[in-house]
Amino acid sequence: MRCPVQRSPYPYWFVLPAAVVFVTLFLVPTVASLWFSLTRWDLYTASYIGLDNFRQFFSEQNLTLGLMNTVIYAVLTSATKTVFGLLLAVLLTSGIWGQSFLRTVVFFPVLVSTIGVGITFTVLMHPTKGLFNVGLAAIGLHGPGWLTDASLALYSVALVDLWKGVGLATLIYIAGLAAISPDYYEAARIDGATRVQQFWRVTVPLVQPATVTVITLSLIGGLRSFDLIWAMTKGGPGFSSDVLASVIYKQYQAGFYGLSTAGNVILFVLIATIILPLTWWFNRKEVDL
Amino acid sequence: MAEVVLTGIRKSFGAVDVIKGIDLTIKDGEFCVFVGPSGCGKSTLLRIIAGLEVATGGTLHIDGKEVSKAEPSERGIAMVFQSYALYPHLTVRQNIGFGLSLAKMPKDEIARIVEATAATLQLEKLLDRKPKELSGGQRQRVAIGRAIVRNPKVFLFDEPLSNLDASLRSQMRIEITELHAKLATTMIYVTHDQVEAMTMADKIVVLNGGTIEQVGSPMELYNAPATPFVAGFIGGPKMNLFEGKLAEEMRCRTYGIRPEHVLLGAEGRWQGRVKHVEHLGADAIVHLDVAGLGALIARISGDTGLRPGDDVRASPQPGKEFRY
Amino acid sequence: MTRRQYWTGIIATVVALVIFVVPFVFIAFTAVKDKAQASHLDFTWPLQFLFWQNLVDVVTTRNYMLLLAYFNSSIITVGAVAMLILFGAMVGYVLQRRQSRWNQVIFGCVLAGLIIPPAVVPTIWVMQGLGLFKTIWGMVLIQVAYGLAFSVLLYRSFIATIPRDLDEAARIDGAKPLQIFLRVILPLLKPVTVTLIVVQSIAIFNDFTNPLYYLPGKENVTVQLTLFNFQSQFSTQFNLLFMNILLVTIPPLIVFIFFNRQIVAGMTAGAVKG
Ligand SMILES: Nc1ncnc2c1ncn2[C@@H]1O[C@H](COP(=O)(O)OP(=O)(O)OP(=O)(O)O)[C@@H](O)[C@H]1O
Ligand SMILES: [Mg+2]
Repeated sequence: MRCPVQRSPYPYWFVLPAAVVFVTLFLVPTVASLWFSLTRWDLYTASYIGLDNFRQFFSEQNLTLGLMNTVIYAVLTSATKTVFGLLLAVLLTSGIWGQSFLRTVVFFPVLVSTIGVGITFTVLMHPTKGLFNVGLAAIGLHGPGWLTDASLALYSVALVDLWKGVGLATLIYIAGLAAISPDYYEAARIDGATRVQQFWRVTVPLVQPATVTVITLSLIGGLRSFDLIWAMTKGGPGFSSDVLASVIYKQYQAGFYGLSTAGNVILFVLIATIILPLTWWFNRKEVDL
Repeated sequence: MAEVVLTGIRKSFGAVDVIKGIDLTIKDGEFCVFVGPSGCGKSTLLRIIAGLEVATGGTLHIDGKEVSKAEPSERGIAMVFQSYALYPHLTVRQNIGFGLSLAKMPKDEIARIVEATAATLQLEKLLDRKPKELSGGQRQRVAIGRAIVRNPKVFLFDEPLSNLDASLRSQMRIEITELHAKLATTMIYVTHDQVEAMTMADKIVVLNGGTIEQVGSPMELYNAPATPFVAGFIGGPKMNLFEGKLAEEMRCRTYGIRPEHVLLGAEGRWQGRVKHVEHLGADAIVHLDVAGLGALIARISGDTGLRPGDDVRASPQPGKEFRY
Repeated sequence: MTRRQYWTGIIATVVALVIFVVPFVFIAFTAVKDKAQASHLDFTWPLQFLFWQNLVDVVTTRNYMLLLAYFNSSIITVGAVAMLILFGAMVGYVLQRRQSRWNQVIFGCVLAGLIIPPAVVPTIWVMQGLGLFKTIWGMVLIQVAYGLAFSVLLYRSFIATIPRDLDEAARIDGAKPLQIFLRVILPLLKPVTVTLIVVQSIAIFNDFTNPLYYLPGKENVTVQLTLFNFQSQFSTQFNLLFMNILLVTIPPLIVFIFFNRQIVAGMTAGAVKG
């Protein structure tokens, strides 16, 4: 084969600036993390200690709790965002009064600073003076210590995450619903399907691409989430609302760099083992349709 | 002004051979048309000449210089695309002057050339519009203007009229022919419309499956098509072609007779029945069903009284038959 | 509009006001209260409107730290977004226009960039080696590295709608590759570019985690870090804390009002591919 003298109008050096930044600041650290997670490390010298960091991770109770909490938090926020996102999207595409205002109101928290939201809700969830419990007291209920009760703190944060993130899920679902041809609904109506039947038989199956997106995005986000938890509880009370990302930060602060990096590797593996099979399964289902 | 010489040009995309060895000389100032069915490689061949594709084998000379591997902009060519490919974000003025501004020509000189070109194409009033504010014919003219300002040795056109409606198409056909007469530059024009080929070309190149079937002037191809493929492709309605019993009788593999050379009357070689008559005004196209032969098409004077169901006899005009 | 749609809308609006609007009204109220009233943490009408005074107090705290934070955050946002636009478009362009085995590699990197959580401490290690740790430029490059995947995906799918004929016409007109990109392709990418500017600016401006790790130090504070630090500093001055929150909330609100359509387009387009 003769080599053409002509140069491609799409030269690979176009990729170069991006590649340099991406490789040095993302790929190299990611690959390096595999090594450093096997060491005791102070940023200058690293001594190999095999799988000790991982052993420590799975033997210390507050660290395994962080792993558990990560999964609970991610599944919970993802599931609720999916369900409420779909219901809100159906409601906000049904031509109700004030529809566009409602879309705006539901979406706006997505754009607001997570730290700001976290601080605000920490105040609103104050056990005695917060609006949550004052409101509950007004109707004769005794509110819980949303963020001070160790068994509740993680779920309270997840609730705020839902509040802040449901707008994005709704937005994606609205785009997904817009792509469904009205013909399907007319055909279903002619077949005598009720509204509920239309929802289950037409909307849910046909909006599946949006569902895949919402679940995937919110799961990845949930597994990696840090700032909201950090702003509201710092993993407390005790270690009750710690997740992997906050554990990583705490170990980093404490100077256990090897251990912190091991946490990173575990988080990476966790995301991969959840997201990859899920994507594979979704892809296979899409082919079936 | 330049001669274009293709020698053994081949092109394959992966394992698929699209152009299978083309030798062709296009003379200086000639209007050369590539015709052929869809997918036969006309565009690919044109793009090889333009330098948008690099040939897998063979050489290409423009104006005596080998340019087989030169950049498109260094070949002295200009191209008009089927989609016009006008830059949507630039005005007509900027579209026409784009190449000149890339060549760092002074602004006032660009302005002068653009205005002059616009004047020849009657685009003066449209110079500050964007392409989406133009009609199909106007866009076509801008695309031609952009080609003209490059002052090319060879113009390349890839089905430039296929997006226009019928009346605009015949008008632009005349404009391009006049442009050729005025500039006297070599032009290579791709089309799958044999009417465009017949009316515009000095030389027609009939392509089929990546090879040349025949090269010649329009009347040469009409009067002496070298192969049944060319015979069927040039001229409309299509030539009647028969294989089998009739061809055997005529001692050939394929026997052909053009519709305009079929005589209808009370006497004749074949007994047929009229199935359908298309009245075109001056002419009429008569579709016959001939016993033992099948469908036969005749083109006769428009004042015929023939009607579907009539029996009629048909015979070929002597000396106008083709045997392959 | 049927009666049913009308009444559902009314009810939904009331519920949405309680759930989604009350927290923002709470922020605004508390931000203008005096110190004593704010400390009650209740949802009441402000007795005094001390908007200006609280604003000045917040801004002047700790030697105008908030202004410095806004300055730093702006530099990081503008620098990173500019690079994300240019680099992202260049990669998306080559990725869409060229077919080769390298494309698989690039595409793999894009997916990795979307899914893999950054390895924090090793990144600090690399940045220290390069002298980028604790520098504004290091932070800019980090935001570029983390945001590239999204930009590339968005640009790639948009470039697919730009006909190749345009590139070829420009080539024949004598444009070099970079000229084709800068003078023909990039101007045509404007709709996605606007979307990306808006979406990425908000994301980078609101980012807390990355500056926390990679940009420690007083002189490098960003807006979100300042807010977080004020949380402990203002534990008795909730009016100032919420004035700070209000200030942090206003930029996205303004952007949202002006670029609502682009944000929606970007969020859904990027998401559907994700
Ligand atoms: N980049 C490419 N990769 C693979 N195959 C190609 C490519 N470009 C063209 N082909 C193939 O080469 C053949 C010739 O294509 P070409 O575009 O030259 O046809 P054409 O004669 O111009 O047809 P039309 O009249 O439809 O425009 C076609 O079968 C086409 O599928
Ligand atoms: Mg073609």
